Amino acid sequence: MEQLLIKLGQYMFVIFGLLAVGGAGVLIFSKSAVHSVIGFLFSMICVAGCFLSLQAEFLGVAQLLVYAGGIVVLFLFVVMLVELTKYQEKGIFQTQTKFAIPLVGLGLLAFAGVFRTALFGASTNEALTLQPGLVGATENLGNAQAVSRGLFANFILPFEILSVILLVALVGAIVLAKSERV
Amino acid sequence: MASPRYSLLRTLIPFDIYGGMKLTGKYFGKVLRQANRGLKRTHVVVEYPEVPTTLMPRFRGRLQMIKDEQGEVKCVCCMACEKICPTQVITIEKGKKEGRKTPFPIRYDFEMERCIFCEFCVESCGFDSIILNHQFELATYNREDFSHAMEGGFQNMFDPTPVSHYSVSSED
Amino acid sequence: MTPTLTQYLVISLLQIVVVMGFVMTLVPLLTFAERKVIGYVQVRLGATRVAGGLWGAQRGRTHQSRTFTGGLNGFMWWLGRWPVISIFRGLPMFIADALKLLTKEDIVPIEADKAVFVLSPALAMVAAFTVFAAIGFAPGALFYFPAKFPYLGGLPFYGFLTDLNVGLLFILGVASVGVYGIVLGAWASNSKYPLLGGLRSAAQIVSYEVPLTLSLLVPVVLTGSLNFNEMSTRMATDIPVNGLVGIGRTLLMFVGFFVYTTCGFAETNRTPFDLAEAENELVAGFHTEYSGMKFSFFFLSEYASMITVSALASAFFLGGHYLLPFGLQPTWNHFFQNSPSAFLAWTCTPSILWFLLKIFFLLFVFLWVRATVPRYRYDQLMDVGWKFLIPYTLVMFVIAALLRYAA
Repeated sequence: MEQLLIKLGQYMFVIFGLLAVGGAGVLIFSKSAVHSVIGFLFSMICVAGCFLSLQAEFLGVAQLLVYAGGIVVLFLFVVMLVELTKYQEKGIFQTQTKFAIPLVGLGLLAFAGVFRTALFGASTNEALTLQPGLVGATENLGNAQAVSRGLFANFILPFEILSVILLVALVGAIVLAKSERV
Repeated sequence: MASPRYSLLRTLIPFDIYGGMKLTGKYFGKVLRQANRGLKRTHVVVEYPEVPTTLMPRFRGRLQMIKDEQGEVKCVCCMACEKICPTQVITIEKGKKEGRKTPFPIRYDFEMERCIFCEFCVESCGFDSIILNHQFELATYNREDFSHAMEGGFQNMFDPTPVSHYSVSSED
Repeated sequence: MTPTLTQYLVISLLQIVVVMGFVMTLVPLLTFAERKVIGYVQVRLGATRVAGGLWGAQRGRTHQSRTFTGGLNGFMWWLGRWPVISIFRGLPMFIADALKLLTKEDIVPIEADKAVFVLSPALAMVAAFTVFAAIGFAPGALFYFPAKFPYLGGLPFYGFLTDLNVGLLFILGVASVGVYGIVLGAWASNSKYPLLGGLRSAAQIVSYEVPLTLSLLVPVVLTGSLNFNEMSTRMATDIPVNGLVGIGRTLLMFVGFFVYTTCGFAETNRTPFDLAEAENELVAGFHTEYSGMKFSFFFLSEYASMITVSALASAFFLGGHYLLPFGLQPTWNHFFQNSPSAFLAWTCTPSILWFLLKIFFLLFVFLWVRATVPRYRYDQLMDVGWKFLIPYTLVMFVIAALLRYAA
């Protein structure tokens, strides 16, 4: 019993990961757009579970809060309000396929390149664990503290640049969506 | 109304919601203390089947004929009520009775299932011989039981409505 | 004595049973309390009797043309003789309500998206009940199993299910998933009114999540922690460095309590903000097409999230497991900690009793507000959220940061 429980804890990452892939499959292959969003939501929740099983509880909960609680809701809004059937008739989605397949292949190669130690190397467990030392935090700091120290002390400049980029995207969206009248 | 100086304060602090909560809280406390069958009570609910209701004096219930002090029917068959009735639920048959100068109704039928309780019949009556009494528990199990007549049948025009198991009113 | 993994699992299961039992009994009782409180506020009596013809009514006796019922209803009638006890008349109504919901016909509209239609009540329910995993009802061990207890002797029974060190974020994150139950249920019904209600509700919940989270950031900044138990204990008992900081903390917690509760009302779709189910314009909002057990899942999740909001507000702003709210407990402790009176000394210690009392009071406030404040219009709702509450919470956040800097 004890051994089983310990092993279950160890295999939680794999279980959540497979479930997340399943959710992503629903996202891609389902006919209804709302079902796709539900698949996406399921996938996001499972990714949060992956984070939790790696003892990165702050990231896991932030994943739940930001993606599942905020972003997917907005996706759902758009999908529910926009009529997708007329785009399906025009075949807009099909024209993108021939560009999408090479791009996805490229992405997979890049992923394999970045995580080659994790995928093929010997130090599998180590690469999958969030290391507090990576952001200059000591071991006894909590997860949230480590992340915040990393974001707001060690990597403050990239963080701010990222937020400015997001702001640019937001302003751009408003400019594009605004009607002609001022 | 509030001056602009106070309107900012009223925006920041919801005084009005506080006032409303105070009022409703006051009533809650009062009813909580007095929600019993004591003499002093705040709540307006009548616990009807057990406690008899008091109706307003002009309440229009079932049509009823009235007898005078000698136990004689006051109706003189002038047919005013029958004529004025908008739904024609009253049927009167004129007749004679020994020792009575005025005509005597040998039949006075009242079909309550179509009555709209407008009280025109009572207003038109010049002899105060009919009233709408305070009975409101008029439901029956059969359609025939809505027919009221002078004598016989399920109900008659002089007696109060036979009460069902639960029915209670202040008049009986 | 540390428990082994299996013992730990057994204790956890027991704890889950206790917490879920508490919530599951509180919710039907809350529906009964809702009838009663709103009735009393509106100078009515609310539910006073139950089971008309089933027990006693047929055996009623007639006395001077008044009918008195025997059995259960007779007991209810008898209870009405006393002032405050008479509030318990009609209490079996909650069992009747539950039975009604369980035995109702479960209708699925023919044009509905079946899978999503079934999924969404479950989603709402799971989100509303998972939150209780991170809520600490008591800071430490509630009691210890007696030594002779089979298998678990001498082990502690904690007043919380988990002691997550990101407990607050967990609560917010899981509670934010609850909006899918509403939106997906509205969409899957394939009907106009539910869709409108669901969209309104989703917009409302997403926009009120911002001030809600910001107002909860005040305790986070003041305590520097995300752990539920640590936050609630430190919010109640932290001794301020000087008087000015103490007054600032108290004022901040006082205002924060009201702001948080307002946002909590909006998050749980309760009355001043219940636009999602505005029955005069939207029939019943997102659950128009739902019936039977599926409807009661939405119902349960709404009341469970009311309990969650009450628990959070009482933990972070009303002093949690201690007696006094708004951070006044240290002053009280200063005077009465070494008092000879055992009772006064006891009021200085944490107890689950205070926490539950505060939760019950806040639940009463939910019902009280429902009986008082009329529903907001949609644009007013958005105005209150974006133009009033968010600036308010941002100012509070800056003040909290200043206080933290001063401490």
